[in-house]
Amino acid sequence: MLSLARVTKTYPNNVRALEEFTLDVAPGEIVAIVGGSGCGKSTLLRAISGLDRPTKGLVHLDDEVITQPHEKIGIIFQEPRLLPWLTVAENVGFGIAHLPAAERKERIARTLDRVGLSDKADVWPRELSGGQAQRVAIARALVPRPEVLLLDEPFSALDAFTRADLQDHLLDLWADSRPTLILVTHDVEEAVVLADRIIVMRPRPGRLFEEIDADLPRPRDRQSAAFDHVKRRVLAALDRSLGRTISVDDRATKSEDGAAMWW
Amino acid sequence: MSIFDMTFPSVQKAESAATDQRVRHSWRFNPLLGLVLPVGIAALWELAVYLGLSDGRLVPPPSVIAATLWDLAKTGELWRHTQATVLRVAAGFGLGVVAGTLLGAIAGYSALTRTIIDPTLQALRAIPSIAWVPLFILWLGIFEASKVTLIAVGVFFPVYLGVMGAILSVDRKIVEVGRAFRLSGPALVRRILLPAVLPAYVVSLRSGLGLGWMFVVAAEFMGASEGLGYLLTDGQQLGKPAQIVAAIIVFAILGKTTDWLLTAGTAPFLRWEDRFHARQEA
Repeated sequence: MLSLARVTKTYPNNVRALEEFTLDVAPGEIVAIVGGSGCGKSTLLRAISGLDRPTKGLVHLDDEVITQPHEKIGIIFQEPRLLPWLTVAENVGFGIAHLPAAERKERIARTLDRVGLSDKADVWPRELSGGQAQRVAIARALVPRPEVLLLDEPFSALDAFTRADLQDHLLDLWADSRPTLILVTHDVEEAVVLADRIIVMRPRPGRLFEEIDADLPRPRDRQSAAFDHVKRRVLAALDRSLGRTISVDDRATKSEDGAAMWW
Repeated sequence: MSIFDMTFPSVQKAESAATDQRVRHSWRFNPLLGLVLPVGIAALWELAVYLGLSDGRLVPPPSVIAATLWDLAKTGELWRHTQATVLRVAAGFGLGVVAGTLLGAIAGYSALTRTIIDPTLQALRAIPSIAWVPLFILWLGIFEASKVTLIAVGVFFPVYLGVMGAILSVDRKIVEVGRAFRLSGPALVRRILLPAVLPAYVVSLRSGLGLGWMFVVAAEFMGASEGLGYLLTDGQQLGKPAQIVAAIIVFAILGKTTDWLLTAGTAPFLRWEDRFHARQEA
């Protein structure tokens, strides 16, 4: 169980990026975090990952307090951030250098196979397309078998087609070992496709604004009415989080406009 | 990527990167074209002396220089002097590189160390290195120690600056990947920082090596009984310009060869680079 207790982050220039953020995430749950710019989404993810320490409050994974990067917590960034001097296979194996060579090789091969890049094992990262590179980054994060996987707008730099493809792919990979996923995203549709629960945050200072359950059956049909309903609820919550109150009867149309504006 | 890209060191690529960027849109000229100017001038000068237009005493013609080189080689003198010089450069370069790399890496990695040592080192760097010569002779005597130290000082600064500057400019995002995989201290330096700075490191090694060859001459001017620098002063004092030019030519050959060895030796480690020039061949 991952739990955040009143996590607060104030930057040295006195910007309150995150205030009193409390959240419990069950093992295997997929939580999406959405919100306007400056609502502390990335700050939150960095606090969970241990890359930054909260000013106040605690992040717990089971019985451990997270103050620095932890082996059970993996992170995938917006950019692939592959190490250009390592081949694809070496990049994937970067986090398991401490394991015996045979096991390392076996795990790398299996994971590369899972992301469909076995044939790219020995090429340099410079030769990959954006989508391939991000798949390698996903493989690199999964190979140490994390219990919690953090994703910071992982598909936002990709084209719509590749993005949808990778979202399905991610769910597929998630089903293998069912780690907890925490996904920060700009893309409401992405949140509804992937998440069990969607957290809407409010900016300045960053706070939890609303939680929306997205307990739709999987695999999710992006065209279904239920899907659309959850998407509208999220968009409406986003609108409200930015102080744009809208009346109930024209919510449907208004929130579509809001969708274009909120970030 | 073809098998040739994988195995063939990209030596000439780095060497001629500047030239190639310029002629990229026209033809790929034959590199031998570069020989036309020096060979032409040498031939003209040889002809001028042959025709009696000049006596060639102060500026000896190529044939005389070649004869001088041959004589020096035949008696074993050339080998003895070259060996002395090469050993000095090797020792000084080695010491300078080790010290420059270690201090540069520490100063680049640790802000505290940088704040403490960098101002002092920058002040020392501002001193023209030749100014140390009298002091080194007083401290270390006129034999090898003072010469090797002078060369090491010359090599140290470009390497130190190169390593520190390169580490400071490593992409924060890449370093964060290392941190996310719980690397810190020596492991972070070894697995992230050093590979990331390798291309810049090779450049600083090359400029360090160039300075090493420069300083060996200064070192050998300050009283040596052997070495190519000795051949230079000896040629000046005894009025043998051909010997001076011969020594200069040997310097040129040695400098170029060692620089080539350095780039060729490091090229296999830099195959991953996403370079402008490499892309055109891919």
